[in-house]
Amino acid sequence: MSVIDKDRPSPEWIAAMRAKFVTEREIDRSMTNKLQRRASPPYTPLTLEQIVDGLRKLVAAHVPGAFNVKEARWLSGGASKLQVAFTLDWIRPDGSPEQARMVLRLEPAESLHETSRLREFQVVKALQGAMPMPAVYWVDAEAKYLPYPGLVYGFASGVAKPSNAPSNVSGLGTRMPPELRRTLGPQFVRDMVKLHTFDFRGADLSAFDIPQPGKQNAEWAVGWWDRVWEEDSDEQVPLVSLASAWLRKNAPAVEHLSIVHGDFRVGNFLFDEKTEQITAWLDWELSRIGDRHQDLAWSTSRAFGSFAEDGKTFLVSGLVPEEAFFESYEKLSGLKVDMKSLRYYQVFNAYSMVAMTLATSYRVAKNGKSHQDVLLTWLLGVGYMVMDDLRALIEKEL
Amino acid sequence: MQLRPEIQIQSMIKAMMEVVLPAVDPSNELAVQQAQLVVGHLSIFAQRLPLQYRYDRDALDRLIALAADLKAAGAGGDSSLEQAAGIGAKVLERAKADPAELVQAARALTAAMDTSIRKVFAEGDEATQSRVEKVTLAMGREQLLRDRAWLIMQGWEPDPASVPAIDTLLAPTPAQG
Repeated sequence: MSVIDKDRPSPEWIAAMRAKFVTEREIDRSMTNKLQRRASPPYTPLTLEQIVDGLRKLVAAHVPGAFNVKEARWLSGGASKLQVAFTLDWIRPDGSPEQARMVLRLEPAESLHETSRLREFQVVKALQGAMPMPAVYWVDAEAKYLPYPGLVYGFASGVAKPSNAPSNVSGLGTRMPPELRRTLGPQFVRDMVKLHTFDFRGADLSAFDIPQPGKQNAEWAVGWWDRVWEEDSDEQVPLVSLASAWLRKNAPAVEHLSIVHGDFRVGNFLFDEKTEQITAWLDWELSRIGDRHQDLAWSTSRAFGSFAEDGKTFLVSGLVPEEAFFESYEKLSGLKVDMKSLRYYQVFNAYSMVAMTLATSYRVAKNGKSHQDVLLTWLLGVGYMVMDDLRALIEKEL
Repeated sequence: MQLRPEIQIQSMIKAMMEVVLPAVDPSNELAVQQAQLVVGHLSIFAQRLPLQYRYDRDALDRLIALAADLKAAGAGGDSSLEQAAGIGAKVLERAKADPAELVQAARALTAAMDTSIRKVFAEGDEATQSRVEKVTLAMGREQLLRDRAWLIMQGWEPDPASVPAIDTLLAPTPAQG
């Protein structure tokens, strides 16, 4: 039996992966780039000077006049990307001078989500004004100026969790106090509704493929995560093969296509602690055009929620009781929550999380490809709870 | 189980070297020294952990031989030495496979099972698929319970009390024959 060296993939194996798993073109491009770069050296820490140097080149390519990049500093960021905050002293396109606080979001050599900065840029731009979004300025999708692909956001103010709330990494397990739940909960539902009812067809989303209504969206989605598992995993797991087969066999059709965030949960929005208003939705890298039930299922995952003080009421993303969440979503959106589709995407989401945590986290950390290897190693541990969730969900459906 | 000491230690060393140590105040000599010692200890783990079992088995093997030599040299009058050597020999007899071999054998068996299962899902009839689904899910339930119990201290479980303690789930080490 031939053994594939996934740390040094051959061009033939890369071609085989591309042929075997059908997914969107830009996702295929990102994943193929990842494999082609995989045998290259590990990530070595970038200095702020290196990053600012690339940033100046990127800004110069877009800003005709003089400008100054100053006050650059590291942000902790999430589990996936490097983030640097800075101030840009520049003349805006409308001719007005401005000292704007901005954030550069940059890929490491490999990351937890191998995604496209171009897609992220396009979707954030498309949704400006539709829901609380950070401003977005420029993208360097091919690392023409920056050390790795990246994009420049406006700095969004706010916090991802109450200053005094405990949580695990990446905002998981955040406990929101009841008074904050009362104000943030309705906004959480409102923003999901705005996203899922947004008319994306007039927006520039050229890096997204629009599936045909029906099952194509689900087939692309499963193809994406099948490919992640195949390319990144270190060991075969029968339950994962079972889940993949189940997802292909049970794919639901969708008629109303929506922009799907892909990681819509507590920890991925900022809010102002004084006004208790959501100021920006972040982390759009997993977004796609697909079935709203993917977000609905993600938000209602046990991994991202918590129980109310009574110990019985499950709070979606730690904010809204589950029943009230679905009821409010249907009422505001006019879109039905189909329980069969919801259960399908619960399985799908658990499957994608298993691939992220047990396959990608492992592969990236093993090859020393990110600035957060120690965090990715830590995240490996959640994979078993998620896989058990996956098992239980499928078992219920049989 | 992918979360094993090898990758944990490697990522801890990297975090210490590339992020933590450069950020330690150089005027705090105690902190600098202790951070370096942490890296030193981790480096020892990384290099020696794969050999630890062989190291201990080798030591026991030589100690048993030494006990025999001692007895032959006239120092074996104490029955407790003979008894301890006997116990040691029995333990050594059972300690044949390296931990790495155990892990590799389990991985190879799982991979073979997975290949069979994939074939059934690709080509098998409905009835076979249904039976294989049930067996696979049952197998997953047992293993994942252990995986979750193993990592309980990470704090991911929403209801940790529902997960049994790992030592109650693992089969006991076979008693000596």
